Amino acid sequence: MRVYRDDQKFLQFRINAVMWGVVAAFVFLAGSFWFVQGVQAEKYRGLSEANALREIRVPAKRGLIMDRGGKILADNQPAYSLEIDRVVMKPLVKADPAHREKLVAFMSRVLALPPQEISARYDKESVKIPATRPFTIAEDLTMSQVASIQAESLAFPELNVTPVQRRNYPYATMAAHVMGFIGEVGEKELKQRREFEQGDLVGKRGVELMYDNYLRGRDGAEYWEYDADGRRLSEYAPARKLPVPGDNIYLTLDFELQRRAEQYFVENEFVGSAIALDPRNGEILAMVSSPAFNPNVYSTRFAPDVYKQITSNPFKIELNRAIQGLYSPGSVFKVVMAMAGLSDGAIGPGTAFNCGGSAVFRGRRFRCWRREGHGEVNVQRAMKVSCDIFFYNTGDRLGVDKIHDYARQLTFGEISHIDLDGERPGLVPSTAWARDKQHRKWYPSETISVAIGQGPLIVTPLQVANMIAAVANGGKVFQPHVVRWVDRVQRDGTYKRYRVPSNVIHEVKLAPAALNAVRDGLWKVVNEEGGTGGNARIEGLDVSGKTGTVQVIAQHGWVRSESLPFKFRDHAWFASFAPLNNPQMVVVVFIEHGGHGGTDAAPLAKLLYEARFKDKVLDANLDLSNPETLQQIKEGELPLPAPQR
Amino acid sequence: MIFRDRPAPNLDWNFFGTALVLAIIGCLLVYSATYYSDPELHIFKRQILWVIIGLILCLAFLIVDYHVIFDIAPILYGIGIVLLIYLLLWGRLTAHVKSWIHIGGFQFQPSEFMKVFTALMLARFFDSNDRSYLDFRSFMMAMGIIGLPVGLIIIQPDFGTAASFFPLIAVAMFFGGIRLRIWVAMIVIVAIVAPLGWFALKPYQKERVVVFLNPERDPLGTGYQVTQAKIAIGSGGIHGKGFRRGTQAKLEFLPARHTDFIFAVLGEEWGFIGVVIVLGLYLFLIGQALTFAKHARDRGGTFLVICLILFFVFHVLINVSMQIGILPTTGIPLPLISYGGSSTMMFFIAIGLILNVDMRRFVNA
Repeated sequence: MRVYRDDQKFLQFRINAVMWGVVAAFVFLAGSFWFVQGVQAEKYRGLSEANALREIRVPAKRGLIMDRGGKILADNQPAYSLEIDRVVMKPLVKADPAHREKLVAFMSRVLALPPQEISARYDKESVKIPATRPFTIAEDLTMSQVASIQAESLAFPELNVTPVQRRNYPYATMAAHVMGFIGEVGEKELKQRREFEQGDLVGKRGVELMYDNYLRGRDGAEYWEYDADGRRLSEYAPARKLPVPGDNIYLTLDFELQRRAEQYFVENEFVGSAIALDPRNGEILAMVSSPAFNPNVYSTRFAPDVYKQITSNPFKIELNRAIQGLYSPGSVFKVVMAMAGLSDGAIGPGTAFNCGGSAVFRGRRFRCWRREGHGEVNVQRAMKVSCDIFFYNTGDRLGVDKIHDYARQLTFGEISHIDLDGERPGLVPSTAWARDKQHRKWYPSETISVAIGQGPLIVTPLQVANMIAAVANGGKVFQPHVVRWVDRVQRDGTYKRYRVPSNVIHEVKLAPAALNAVRDGLWKVVNEEGGTGGNARIEGLDVSGKTGTVQVIAQHGWVRSESLPFKFRDHAWFASFAPLNNPQMVVVVFIEHGGHGGTDAAPLAKLLYEARFKDKVLDANLDLSNPETLQQIKEGELPLPAPQR
Repeated sequence: MIFRDRPAPNLDWNFFGTALVLAIIGCLLVYSATYYSDPELHIFKRQILWVIIGLILCLAFLIVDYHVIFDIAPILYGIGIVLLIYLLLWGRLTAHVKSWIHIGGFQFQPSEFMKVFTALMLARFFDSNDRSYLDFRSFMMAMGIIGLPVGLIIIQPDFGTAASFFPLIAVAMFFGGIRLRIWVAMIVIVAIVAPLGWFALKPYQKERVVVFLNPERDPLGTGYQVTQAKIAIGSGGIHGKGFRRGTQAKLEFLPARHTDFIFAVLGEEWGFIGVVIVLGLYLFLIGQALTFAKHARDRGGTFLVICLILFFVFHVLINVSMQIGILPTTGIPLPLISYGGSSTMMFFIAIGLILNVDMRRFVNA
């Protein structure tokens, strides 16, 4: 055992020094407290009595959402909510144990709700929200309800009628899937984001979710004095923090294009999706998913039944079919096949195959959609009449892996990172996919199905639109976006404009000759007699496109789709752009169980092109080749569109 | 052999009792601060749980001879360092800082435990280094033992906790004994580094310093917290408003009223009398421990007690000073009283170790 003795004195001296130092510090602290609690006690007692301040949050006004021209698609409407303040309520319950029952009975009578419902809300909210913060128990009070509550304010001082800004979508279902909706913050979001508090209303889907940071602004606060019994006295005004309103958002959507497209679906009772986008910058001009929900019913706290109603709708109305619907592309995929065949050299512009209505590949007989066959067809004619046999041959020569490579280059099988939530990637099959994911061998006969856009291949309408846009603009795939500008209010009341950039996410190397051949083929589909897309033809405007009709179930022989039950009927596609030589708009229409691409989908494209180019509904024809305009956009100096309130 | 002698008769019950009384006062204050906003008393019940766990840990670190603990000190120290590195790599940000490890529904701060482990390492180092002055090499070694965890905590970045390692540096310099020229060199280095440190501070930390220097600048932000604390303490007067009867701390108005600002609740409800009693209890604890340090059997024991009790001194002085604005607001808890699992356990371990050294002070007992 080691015993230390060398520097006893040395240490003892220093320990004593520390002890005296600590004693001195404690005496000093006690003296300081004496000064505060003895000498200045009266002053602080006065402050304490006048200073039982409570922080009351003042919610920020949520930013507006407008179309590209400034037409308001989401705003805030003044409404009244009923709040309960438990700080005020506590002494009342102490004085009268039956007070809570009386309160519930009163609210039940005024709000015309069963007392059980009121009690359930009370229990749920009072657990969630800290005792010192008032919580909402009812929303959207009518004026007579407000009057009844205020008449009883002496008996129930804990009830506050609070003016609130209620989210409102004036056009209800319009662009609902793009707009999204708001709702009460969930547990997961609360953990992730420090600025959220229990009971906050936050973006839940669509632009409301993706741009929530911009739209929500910053809540302010007021400080109110309360007396010892919890009665509210007056506001301590110097402490007030003003809320900062949220940013206003201008979508890329054009109100008129969106309206006409939605009307087409509603009038024809079609289920499906339509996308119009600008191939020069990836701006989405219209995005329809039909049928749509009404976001107004979501933005309330107390409507669980409505939510259930929406999610259990057999037509899946909450699904944004444009980015979440996965479908076989059908004949629309022949555009990719033609491009792949020509670029790869598997076929040339003059390569011709004979179509006799059916042919045998890899030991199996495959049919063309036309029983009589198309005779001798080259690539352009094959696109025009949508001959299956030609593309069976092309696919057989390419093999599935080359088809996969070209499709992936055109960004099939991956998400485009559009500024909306829930986008799905779809699937482009390959031998590697069959081996790694399916644990099986890929059969060459499956390639034949893929060649006409069937088989395991599935895509979203947005991917088809991106592909057509790349064909239209010479190979650029833009990151599509639905928000154009974000306007942030400055301290002096003016707005500073931030533009959402147009990023090229992929640049496809396509042989110019192949590209021109495909584009000419697409022009012929619409503009030559006998083309399948004749219904989209507009005099003087070179609309080019491709129709598609997708078999939903395997059929034996040639069957008329109209004779089948709804859910087995064919899907209809039309993918197009215009004008041919200076493409400014891409339109993709997809109709679930709609019958034929040429007869059901193409007319909507025609409608939208007419609106865009004849009626010129889209006035924001930005000339992006003008360096001055580009500079203005970068600096955010473009004048605000005239307000349309 | 764990029990080298008969330990119980030599246990200083006064010291242990004082610590326990402080912890009980802490629980009462936590109750008073939170019963209104937390009617289910989750926070209060948790604090009782922390105290019970703390007592168990205290016992564990008491019955095992501290020489045995010295032997395993490098392991504890190593675990602490690993946890700190883990936090930096995979920790979640909580209030700007990566200092919490989440396990199930609970979370703990390894940096709190690191205080004790570093003290153990340092005491062990002095145990083997029995010259009355540190030469340059030994000094650098001592600084290295302290510097490693402090560096890792600074990167989190949790300056308040990093600063609370200061007592260990003081021990190394003041009790370890440093020659004059090293003192001079240290002062020069600090004079150069301190202004640079200002630029390393996060904006919210700079704000605290600025507000401390000029409280009117920010009546509702950081300085507001101190103003509220002062109003609570001042309005308590000599006798206080009585248990559970504080009005300032009742409403949401005093932030961190059950953690860093719990002393303000004491000041409001128990008045100046309560403040003096609690300060007196701390002073007794500190005085006793310093006496233990003088009588310890060996150098290691002396240094261990000094290191640990200086943590108490530092935490009490800083925390109590910031209540009435003598020092700027930092996240330093009041030992044994503030709500918090990690710090309550840490201080109970320290109490156990101090008693451990005292109990085994006789060479041939």
